[in-house]
Amino acid sequence: MSENPTKNSFEIQYEMLLNAIPSSVLMVDRKLQILSVNENFLIKSQRSKDATVGRPLAEVFPLVILQSTGIEESIRNVFHTGIAVKGQKMTYRAPGVPLRIYYYSILPIQIDQIILIMEDVTEQFRLSEEVRRVERHLASVVESASDIVLSTDIDGRILTWNSAAEKLSGLSTQEVYGRYFFDFCDLSQKQMVQQIFQRMKTSNAAHTTEFNLLTPSNSGTILISWVFSPMKDDYSKTVGTVVVGRDLAERRKLELQLRQSQKLTALGVMAGGIAHEIRNPLAVCSSAAQFLQENQISDDFQKECAKKIQANIQKASAIIENLLRFARSSLDTEMVEVDLISVLKETIDLVTNQAKVQKIKIHLSLQKNNIVVSGVQGLLQQVFMNIFLNAINAMPTGGVLSVAINTVEDRVIVRVIDTGVGIAAGELDKIFDPFHTSSPVGQGTGLGLSICYSIIRQHLGSIQAESRLGQGAAIIVTLPLL
Amino acid sequence: MNKNVLIVDDEPDMCWVVSQIIQLQGLNVFTAYTGEDACFKLSKGDFSVVFLDAKLPDMDGLDVARRIHTMVKERPQVVLVSGYHYRDDPVVRNAQEEGIICCFLAKPFSNEELLSILIALSS
Ligand SMILES: Nc1ncnc2c1ncn2[C@@H]1O[C@H](COP(=O)(O)OP(=O)(O)OP(=O)(O)O)[C@@H](O)[C@H]1O
Ligand SMILES: [Mg+2]
Repeated sequence: MSENPTKNSFEIQYEMLLNAIPSSVLMVDRKLQILSVNENFLIKSQRSKDATVGRPLAEVFPLVILQSTGIEESIRNVFHTGIAVKGQKMTYRAPGVPLRIYYYSILPIQIDQIILIMEDVTEQFRLSEEVRRVERHLASVVESASDIVLSTDIDGRILTWNSAAEKLSGLSTQEVYGRYFFDFCDLSQKQMVQQIFQRMKTSNAAHTTEFNLLTPSNSGTILISWVFSPMKDDYSKTVGTVVVGRDLAERRKLELQLRQSQKLTALGVMAGGIAHEIRNPLAVCSSAAQFLQENQISDDFQKECAKKIQANIQKASAIIENLLRFARSSLDTEMVEVDLISVLKETIDLVTNQAKVQKIKIHLSLQKNNIVVSGVQGLLQQVFMNIFLNAINAMPTGGVLSVAINTVEDRVIVRVIDTGVGIAAGELDKIFDPFHTSSPVGQGTGLGLSICYSIIRQHLGSIQAESRLGQGAAIIVTLPLL
Repeated sequence: MNKNVLIVDDEPDMCWVVSQIIQLQGLNVFTAYTGEDACFKLSKGDFSVVFLDAKLPDMDGLDVARRIHTMVKERPQVVLVSGYHYRDDPVVRNAQEEGIICCFLAKPFSNEELLSILIALSS
């Protein structure tokens, strides 16, 4: 800055102002000679004022920049047309200084002068690059997830749909974009899903549920466990919903296998009682057949023998049929109308042998003769089988097993009460945990009640235990009536 | 030797079978369907042989045998008839060694076998 005494105060002020601006400002004439520059340009370009002012642009800017930006041509154009050029990008590296990024504008100010303003945007540029990188990373997290991740607007219209969603549903993003999410749900569950979206508008909490997603390509559905979360903007206003879904098929398969193998274990427990019970009718048949082989028998006795044989074969076969029905893999999980009373009676028939062997009396008390629930017969039978076997195990020296069925409002309550060893207060809340068992190693797996719990939950019911050590136990199953 | 035989089984058809097998032997056949009833009849009457089922609704057959052992002065010969045990079942062997039962018959059995046991025991 020269201390020229001829400068008036306006000029001095103008120069001060120019130097204070955090941008580089250059005045250039028609011959592309630099007329003046501000302080900022000298600092950024690492040049002295003498080596800059009065020099041609081509000497001040590196050749690469001139070539890559075509800035000289742009300036000539501005002189020619009088129209400003704004917001062009330029990367500039002064010797010994890291690369900087500028936005520049060329503005005509007089007939033979333009002003070149260069704004250093390196930092902003770096930040926006960073934002873009984070965005890309987030997007790839969502894309790589094996769970379904989708977002919707506030009314439930799909905005994003990740590749897991595409893969599981067979629907591409284009096919679902802008459409209501509940259009891709099972018809019976549509209204429920619609209500969840309604709730998301005002709720702060996530909502967890299970329902089927349509897979139109094979005109089927898949069962998914869903979590709905409201998506908020900076002002905590709900702007949409994020939905994450996990395919339950694999888990269901394992659960089925576990239930099945636990059932086989229960069958093993009953083997003793079954042996006794089947050998009785066998013994009767065998002896009666031997009578028939004797020589002088009366017609009446012959008939009596034949009748006994038939009746006892029937008896043995009934025992086997019950067993088969229980052992049969209940792979069907479809909920149908089930008569709870006949489930309980059939299950009691199955454990009667075992109970008899252990001198246990079974009482069944009914209010009604027919109680209908929605359920899977085989699974409900497995539940009561487990509960009965536990009660029988708790009464090694005999006792009474009572089964009481009551309906209260829209529920049915089944109480299974025994006079066995009971459960200590500290153990009571653990008995539904998997692998919690008081049986010796190799005899109980501790899975019985945890499987009962999961089956009853699947039937939208509940299961509880009441007991005191030494005073028997009550297992209480509640199910919704149909 | 008296001629009273008691058949203890909760299954009426089993009692029928056993009594059919032994009825031509000129014996008096009685039946009991529960352990309690068996103990009662044994404490009242005089029996030479008891055919005893191993699993009764109220008691274990072997417990009935044990009660007879201590309770009755003129002890009958006890035959354990069972579909629950097998021949060399340790429980059965122990009971035999203790003298609580004199022999074991597995269900189903041959009528011949039951008869020969009865004849052997009453001679
Ligand atoms: N009626 C009952 N009386 C006393 N204790 C009980 C009763 N029912 C359950 N329990 C306790 O709860 C535990 C867990 O029961 P659970 O049926 O889950 O397993 P488990 O019977 O030990 O093994 P399994 O897998 O063969 O059923 C039992 O080991 C027992 O200690
Ligand atoms: Mg159990």
